[in-house]
Amino acid sequence: MLPLISIVLATLLAGTVATFLSGTRARWTALATSLAFLAEVAVLFVRYPGWPGYTGAGIPGFAEGESYAWIHLSWLQINYTVGVDGISLVLILLTAILQVATVIYSWGEARRPSAYFGLVLLTCLGCFGVFVALDILLFFLFWEAVLVPMFFLIGFWGGPRRRYAALKFFVYTHVASIVMLVGLLALVFYSGATSFDFSAVDAAARGLTGVVQAFLFLALFFGFGVKFPIVPFHTWLPDAHVEAPTGASVLLAGLLLKLGGYGLIRWAVEVLPSGLHTDQPILFAVAFLSIVWGSVLSLSQRDLKRLVAYSSINHMGIVLLAIALGSSLGLLAAVLLMFAHGIVSGLLFMSAGSVHHTFGTRDIPNLGGITPRTPALSTMIMVGSLASLGLPALISFPAEFTALLATYNGLGYWVFVPLAILVVTAAFYLWMMQRMLFGPEKGVPGDARDLPWHEGVGMGILVAATIVFGILPALLVDVIVSSPVKGFPGT
Amino acid sequence: MDVVAFVLPFLPEVVLLAATLLIFLLDVLHVRRTEIVGTLAVAGSAVALLLVVADLRFAPLASLATLPAARIDAAGSPTALFAFTSLGLVFQGVFLIATLLVSLASVSRPSDERGAPIFFGLLLLATLGMLLVTVAADLIFLLLAIELTSISTYLLVAYTRRDPRSLEAAMKFYIIGALSTTLSFFGASLLYGAYGTTNLYAIRLAAGPVGFPVLVLLGYGFLIAGLAFKATLVPFHAWAVDVYDGAPSDVTAFLAGGSKKVGLFAFFLVFLAPILFVRSVGGGSPFTGASVGLGPVFQLTLGVLAVLTMTVGNVLALLQKEMKRMLAYSSISQAGYMLIGITVGTAPAIAGATLQIFAHVFMKGAAFLVVGGVAALGIGPLVDDYRGLGTRRPLLSVAFALMLLSLAGVPLTIGFVSKFVLFSAAVQAQGFFVWLAVAGLLNSALSVFYYARVLKVMFFDPAPAAPTVRGAVEGASEPPILPAGGLGYGRAVAIGLSAVLIVLVGLYPQPVLGAIQLAAQHFVSSGA
Repeated sequence: MLPLISIVLATLLAGTVATFLSGTRARWTALATSLAFLAEVAVLFVRYPGWPGYTGAGIPGFAEGESYAWIHLSWLQINYTVGVDGISLVLILLTAILQVATVIYSWGEARRPSAYFGLVLLTCLGCFGVFVALDILLFFLFWEAVLVPMFFLIGFWGGPRRRYAALKFFVYTHVASIVMLVGLLALVFYSGATSFDFSAVDAAARGLTGVVQAFLFLALFFGFGVKFPIVPFHTWLPDAHVEAPTGASVLLAGLLLKLGGYGLIRWAVEVLPSGLHTDQPILFAVAFLSIVWGSVLSLSQRDLKRLVAYSSINHMGIVLLAIALGSSLGLLAAVLLMFAHGIVSGLLFMSAGSVHHTFGTRDIPNLGGITPRTPALSTMIMVGSLASLGLPALISFPAEFTALLATYNGLGYWVFVPLAILVVTAAFYLWMMQRMLFGPEKGVPGDARDLPWHEGVGMGILVAATIVFGILPALLVDVIVSSPVKGFPGT
Repeated sequence: MDVVAFVLPFLPEVVLLAATLLIFLLDVLHVRRTEIVGTLAVAGSAVALLLVVADLRFAPLASLATLPAARIDAAGSPTALFAFTSLGLVFQGVFLIATLLVSLASVSRPSDERGAPIFFGLLLLATLGMLLVTVAADLIFLLLAIELTSISTYLLVAYTRRDPRSLEAAMKFYIIGALSTTLSFFGASLLYGAYGTTNLYAIRLAAGPVGFPVLVLLGYGFLIAGLAFKATLVPFHAWAVDVYDGAPSDVTAFLAGGSKKVGLFAFFLVFLAPILFVRSVGGGSPFTGASVGLGPVFQLTLGVLAVLTMTVGNVLALLQKEMKRMLAYSSISQAGYMLIGITVGTAPAIAGATLQIFAHVFMKGAAFLVVGGVAALGIGPLVDDYRGLGTRRPLLSVAFALMLLSLAGVPLTIGFVSKFVLFSAAVQAQGFFVWLAVAGLLNSALSVFYYARVLKVMFFDPAPAAPTVRGAVEGASEPPILPAGGLGYGRAVAIGLSAVLIVLVGLYPQPVLGAIQLAAQHFVSSGA
């Protein structure tokens, strides 16, 4: 069997290095790499169980498994172990789509393009690695490898307060990763696992007592939660987003936040089911807090980008809620939501970026009636906003519907909290559209032009994804539900 | 005894001694050009390094080994002055790598620089002392070997003889060093009074029956103080920053990357007995070993010292404005991580600490070489003077960035692997030691602040309009400026090599780590 995952990793790595070295032609190298990556991900999808042509797997519960010895000491067994299941596969698809869209969108980047595109590819490489890694050290390596390129993207290409934002981002997420690492190490050594492999840890963790599970789960929850970000550890996010260049914002919201959700599912929920059960009240409280607070904060924003950033906190709160339910339906909802939020927030951040390029400001009250001048851009903003507020036939709808259904199954009438907040979300997006897109023309400079082709194409890809997966969510659902999640009560 | 059979195992030491004497001889004959004596020093340390690697039985070189395999990790003898352990050999390798890097970098200093033969001769002489430390099996032998290193390094700091800052640093170094030596010897004499021997193996044997009466505790207490000065542990660290700052950067690289580790290895040798004793009786935790009397006090003391050293070093590093002082404080905090290894005292922990010490040569030693090079380019000593270095010297900046990231423990670097092994060993030991790991991890998070600040300054801040001239005045402790153009080949090779190794070993640590692990296992089992 072909070591497909290693081939993808090698492609990305080679592409990244080539991009760094290819000077002014960097965007072509980056595009070629991204398209190759997308094609390989398509192959991964086609080969996945349930799809024709699948040939079997080496690691139980995972497809395309590969495992090679890496560091073998008498007391430390670390392997290069990778594999995918339905959950990671969907997020890998998200990575590939966002990478292609970001590279095309950023086509006009004039400041050190080779470094910029190289760092973009490196971020995606790290995310892909996180999604396929099935060994604790490998997972942690990729996890941290995402930090460094993002730090540079924000710090070098960002807005006026970029240095502060980059440092804050780095420190917050790094501290969280350290807590996560201690949690993962403790998981290995307290459970007496024979190796750092996911399957070994997973099996050994069954023997841990409830109290230990609860403590370990909390440590991991904190580690992954800061990436989500959960309130009250969310303050790095608006700063990072507002200062980051558009491409970095897209990756930050679309991919980096998903790392937290994926990590929580893979390394905490699956491995420590009774820990989840004990800590459930804390998770619910944090989730509700994030949902409500994120949405309240979005309401008060004037800056379009800040508005999208705060609404991310709200959306990721729903993801956390869905995960915390501990049911298969909740898990399905969480993964769908992450995919949907990745695509839609990417689209919205690109919109905010284009608004800024075109009008020189993102201040909503100072803009008005931009649609006649920039019809394409306005259409994109509209699709993004409508998707974000959960219009049926767009990608977020099936995800949010599943989430609400799962919440009702698990928590009964508590479902009214996210439901009410969804109405608020709808309100602030509609209000934003009303003020900015329609009405009398305001704050539009005379030389304002509609989208350059590359920004249009980049956003177009995400619009297409929003619609295709909105109409055919089964493409994703079939893959997600085919992955066995252990330790879960039935739907 | 057959003289050849006696001397052959000491071939690396003999090579170093020969090179040292040759350099001093050339000095007398007025052959003082930096290239000539420097190349001699590079060759001497390279050959010694090859011999040590051969003695460690690394595959392609194993046939060159001069040390019979049977003598490595042999059963201890209560009368021996010296003994060969594989951990000691690993440390010899580490020390020689530090010397090799420093002398390689120093070859590219101006060829008519005053005192070049003295510099290289003393460098090799100090290294000789360090090699002898690693084979010590007797307390007095150990302390004398440390003295050989110390005296050479006091002189090394002042080798330029002109610069008042270096002279002041050397004076301070000498006075503190003399005090610490006195404390160590006093401690050793108390131990001799308690056990009737200065042989470390005999002490290990006696520690069981005798236990830890007050005399022994006092003896170890003085030894801790004495050795802690050498290893720059808080609260015995105050001298280090002034000395590191005042000494020429290349000497600082050697002090931080090499000679300071002598103190740490001495910790390994001296405290193996009490720590292992605690572990075997008390089950590995100061809070469970009720029956071992005062034994757990050692672990607690060393643990507290480790946490103090990490924290104080890091916090003070945060406040520094000068690059060298910042790196000096960070060097102090790194010693705290290494001390965790000996506190935990299991084979994995000692392996982790050893890897950390190995890594530190490439991270901190090489970082000081960069600082020396940067100063020679006419850039000032403040962190802010490094503004825009990323665009002006991209390769050098990337190498420096790798060293700093490695010091911060960012993955894909050797510094990450060493901390990973060290902290997982502490977590594995469970109980009290998990908190040491947590303290260590929190500290590495804290350290990210000041390393990231340097990255920010180098890569994000715009370069000053004109090159800072301030360095030429304030950084007067540096040897004369290089001819404009570059770092010189030797320094570039040393820095590049370190940067490459930081990544290479970070990606695939198995060969190095495997050897270190075996050595640590032998080391721990030999004492049990």
